[in-house]
Amino acid sequence: MAGADTSQFLQFLFSGLTAGSIYALIAVSLVIVYKVSLLICFAQGEFFVIGALTMVTLVSKGVPMPLAFPIAVVVTAALGAVAERVLIRPLRNSGVGTLIVMTVAISLTLRGSAMLIWGKESHVLPPFSSSHPIGILGATLQAQVLWIVGITCVVLAAIWLFFEKTALGIAVRACAENPLGASLMGISTGKATLFSWAWGSAIGALAGCAVSPLLFMQYTSGVMPMVKGFIAMSIGGLASIAGAVVAGYLLGIAEAYAIGLVSSQFSDSLVFTILILVLLLRPNGLFGGAKRRDV
Amino acid sequence: MSRIKPLWWVLIIACVALFPMTLGGMSPYRCGILVLAGIYVILAVSLDLLMGYTGQISVGHAAFFAIGAYVSGILTTSHGAAPLPAMIAGMVLAAAVAWIVGRPLLKLKEYYLAMATLALNVVVVTLIVGLQRLTGGASGLKDIPSFSLLGIGFDNQVRYYYVVWSAVALVVLISLTVVRSPFGRTLLAIHSDETAARTFGIDCARYKVRVYVLSAVFASLAGSLFAHYMNFLAPDDFGVDTSINILVMLFLGGIGTVFGPVLGALFMKILHEVTYGFQDYEMFINGAVLILVLLFMPKGLYGVVSAIGRRLSARRSP
Amino acid sequence: MKRTLTAALVVWVGTLLMGGGPAKAADTYKIGGIFPLTGSLSWLGEYKKKGAELKVELINKAGGVNGHNLELISYDDQSSPETASGAAQRLVSKDQVVAMIGTASVPVSAAVAAIGAKNKIPVIVGSGYEVDAGKEPFLFNSAHRTDFAVARPYQYWQSKGITKVALLMPIGSLGELGSSLGRKYAPTYGITIVGEEKFDIKAPDVTAQLAKLRALNPQAVFSFCTGEPAALVARNMDQMGMKIPVLVSHGNANPGFLKFTAGLSLPILVAAGRSALPDAIPDSDPCKKVIVDFSRAHQQKYGEPANYYSAEMVDAVDLIAAGLKATGSGDPVKLRDAIEKVKGFVGMQGIFNFSPTDHHGTVLSDMMVITPKDGKWALLLK
Repeated sequence: MAGADTSQFLQFLFSGLTAGSIYALIAVSLVIVYKVSLLICFAQGEFFVIGALTMVTLVSKGVPMPLAFPIAVVVTAALGAVAERVLIRPLRNSGVGTLIVMTVAISLTLRGSAMLIWGKESHVLPPFSSSHPIGILGATLQAQVLWIVGITCVVLAAIWLFFEKTALGIAVRACAENPLGASLMGISTGKATLFSWAWGSAIGALAGCAVSPLLFMQYTSGVMPMVKGFIAMSIGGLASIAGAVVAGYLLGIAEAYAIGLVSSQFSDSLVFTILILVLLLRPNGLFGGAKRRDV
Repeated sequence: MSRIKPLWWVLIIACVALFPMTLGGMSPYRCGILVLAGIYVILAVSLDLLMGYTGQISVGHAAFFAIGAYVSGILTTSHGAAPLPAMIAGMVLAAAVAWIVGRPLLKLKEYYLAMATLALNVVVVTLIVGLQRLTGGASGLKDIPSFSLLGIGFDNQVRYYYVVWSAVALVVLISLTVVRSPFGRTLLAIHSDETAARTFGIDCARYKVRVYVLSAVFASLAGSLFAHYMNFLAPDDFGVDTSINILVMLFLGGIGTVFGPVLGALFMKILHEVTYGFQDYEMFINGAVLILVLLFMPKGLYGVVSAIGRRLSARRSP
Repeated sequence: MKRTLTAALVVWVGTLLMGGGPAKAADTYKIGGIFPLTGSLSWLGEYKKKGAELKVELINKAGGVNGHNLELISYDDQSSPETASGAAQRLVSKDQVVAMIGTASVPVSAAVAAIGAKNKIPVIVGSGYEVDAGKEPFLFNSAHRTDFAVARPYQYWQSKGITKVALLMPIGSLGELGSSLGRKYAPTYGITIVGEEKFDIKAPDVTAQLAKLRALNPQAVFSFCTGEPAALVARNMDQMGMKIPVLVSHGNANPGFLKFTAGLSLPILVAAGRSALPDAIPDSDPCKKVIVDFSRAHQQKYGEPANYYSAEMVDAVDLIAAGLKATGSGDPVKLRDAIEKVKGFVGMQGIFNFSPTDHHGTVLSDMMVITPKDGKWALLLK
C-alpha cells in the first residue's frame, strides 16, 4: 500500500514537471522581452506555435529534424524581429495599454495566419529520442520532458553567458537597467529592444519545437502556454529569469498536486486563487525583490 | 456651440429610434445584430470608465458580464422571477464582488493587475462550470424567458432593440455625467499621476474601487440583457476571449472618450456581419484591422470621426 | 457634437453593408448549415460541411426534390453559442431557410435550437444534445443518442467480464454527459464505477489523474472526450503501463484519431455508426448500400473516406429532402411534421424511426464498437 502511495505521489510530481517544463520555457521567453523593453508580448504563444509548425512542415518535406529545429527557430526569430521593428517600435511612446493591445493584435493576426497556412487539423511529431517512458519507483515520465529540461538549461546557460560575458549582452543589460545612461554611452536602446524580441521569439519557437512531441500542435495550441507562462512570469517576478523558471515548474507542480490531492474539477480555480493571493501578498512576485516603484 | 448641442442630441436619438423602421427593415435579424452590438457597447463603455479614465487595466471584464447574465438566467428560470428584479439582483451581486475584490486587486500595478483580472475571469468561469446543478454547467442554461416589463413581453428582436438601446442611452448618459463631474476629474488626475494625486490628499484607492464597482454594475446590466437576447447561456461566451474582444473594441474605438467604445463595439459587430462568407479570414482581418488602427489612428475610430467632423465644420465657416 | 452626428451617419451607412431583409423568392429549397469552421471544434466542422455539401450536390444531380434544387447556405459558428445564435437568426430572417442543420457541441446546439423554436423552423443537429421531443418539437438529432455510445461499449465489456470502470472526464459539456451516462448505464451491464476524475482538455498531461484512478484497480477507463484529449488520455495510459481498455467518444471515428493513436499498444474502444466500417456490414443490411455509395463518392471528391461527422450531416440533409418530398412544399412547419412522421428511413447512421416522443430515430444496434489497429479500424462488436 505504501508503495502505491509513493508511486502516486511521484507521478503527481512527474505530471507537474511535464507541464511545468513547458510553462518555464515560455516564461523565460516572456521575461527576456520584458527585461529589455518593459513589454509583455501577448503574441509569444503564437511564436511557440509557428516555430513548432514550421518545424513540422520542414520535417514533412524531408528535412532531417536536427536541421529543421534550428531553421524553424531562426525563421521565427526573424518574424519576431520584424514584428518589433514594424509594429512595436512606432508605438514606443504610447501607454502600456496600447502596447498590450498591439501585442494582442499581433497575436490574433499570427493565429489567423497560422490557421490559413497550416489548417485546422493537429499535427503530430515524433519524440526526439525513444518513445519509451522512463520509470522510477512505479511512476513514469516521458523522455521528451528530459529533453525540454535539458534545452531549458542550455538556454539559461546561453542567456547567462550572453548577458554576463559578451560586450553586446552587457550593453543590452545596461539599456534595460538605465536607458538614459546607456544611450549616453552610445548604446542604442532601439537595437537592444529589437534584439530582445528576436531572442524572445527564438526561445518561444524553441519551446514550441521541443514541446511539440508532447502536445498535438495546431493553430490554437499557443493560447494555454501563453497564459500559464504569463502566470509563471508574474509569480516569479516580471524581470527575473531565474524566477520565471522556478515559478514555471512550481506552477506545474502546484497544479498537479491540486489535481491529485484536492480536486481535479476545481484545480484551476484553486491555482488561480493562489495566484491572486501571491500577487496581493508579494506584489513584485516571489523573486521581484524589494524594488518598489512608489514614492 | 452649446446652443447647437441639444439639436444634435435630438438627431442622434432620432437616428437610433428610427433605425428599426428604416435601415432595419423591421427584420428581427438586423435588429438582433444591433441588440447584440448595443450589449457590447455597454460592455465597452464600462471598460472605458475603468481603463480610459482611471487607467486600470482589466483583461477579465467578462467576469461581471457573466455574473449579470447568470444571475438573471438562474432567477428567471428556476425561480420564476421577473426579469427586472433579477437584473437588479445581478447588478447588486456584481457590485458586491467588485467591492470585495477591488480594494486589494487595484493596489496592483499594470501587468500584475492585468494578470489578476484575468485570474478573476477564469475563477468565475470555472465556478460556473463546476456548480453544474445551479448553472447548467458547461452544457448551458436553457429556456431563459425573453425580457418583459410590467406584463409587456419583448420576445421580438425589433421590440427588444428599444429596451437595449434605452439601456445604452442610460449608460452613456451616466458615464458622460460621471466623467464630466468633479469625480471624473479626480479620476483623470489619478490616471495621469497617482503619486501627485495622493500628495493632494486624494484617497486614490477609494476612487478606483468606486469606478470598478460602477463598471462592474454596467457590465452586469449588459449580461442580463444578453441572457434575455439569447434565451440561453453557456460559459463559453464569458471567457478570456470575450474579455479580450471588449478590450479590442475599446482600443479600436478610442479609449477615454465614452463615444469611442460605442463606435468600436458597433464596428466590430458590423465587421463580423460583413465577413460572413469568408469567416476563415475573420481572425486575421480582426488582427490586421486592429494593427492598422493602432499604428495610424492612435485616437481610434473616434479620432478619425472627430477629424472628419472638424474638417466639415471648418469648411462651413467662410 | 458634429463629430457625434458624423459618427451616427457612419454607423448608419455601415449597417447598409450588413445584409438583411428578405431575399427574393427563388426556385430552390434553402437549407441552412451552421458548422464550427473556426475555434476549438474547427477540425471536425470541415468534415460536417463537406459531407453536407456533397450530399446536396448528389441530390441535385439526381434531379432535386419536387423539381427544385436544394441549396446549402453554410455559416461558421466559431464554436461559440453567441455566434451560432446570430448565424441561425441570419439564416432564418435573411436567407429564409426551410430548415437548419449542423452544430457540433451541446451548448452550440442549444443556442441554435432556441432560434429554431422561436421561429418555428426545424433544426437537425449532430451533437451529444439529448432532444426532449415533447418540449422541443422543432429539434431533431441525427447523431446517435449518446446513451447508445455508452451502452453498446458497456455491453461489450460485460461480455468480456469487465466489472470495474474508472471515469476520466474532460471538464466541459462532453464530460458532464459522459459522467452522467457512464453512471446511469453501469448497473444495467453489471459495471461498478470505482472512481471519477476530471481534466482540462488543454492540459499537456493527465498522469496525475490516472495515478489516482489506478490505485482503485479499475479494469477499464471511460473517458468521454474527442480528438486530441482522447489521444492524450490513451497515450498517458500507455506511458504509465496501464494497458487496460479505454473507451473514448464516438466522435473519434475519423481518420485524424487513427493518426494520433498510431503506435500505442493498449486497447482503445470507439463506438461508431456503421459507416465507419462498411466492409463489416452484412450485405443483407439495407444501410450498407447507402453507406458504400456515399463513401465512394466522398473518396472520389475529397480523397478520404466518409466518417461519423459526414454521415450525421448526410442523414440530416436526406431527412429534410424526404420531408420536403412528402409535403410537396417548402413550409417549415409542415416540414417538421413530415420529418416527425418518418419511419423506416434508410440512412448512413441507421434506420430512422421518428415519433412525437423520439427525435433521434436510431436504436442501440445501429452502433458498433471499433478499435484502431495497424492504422485502420477493426471491429470488436457488431
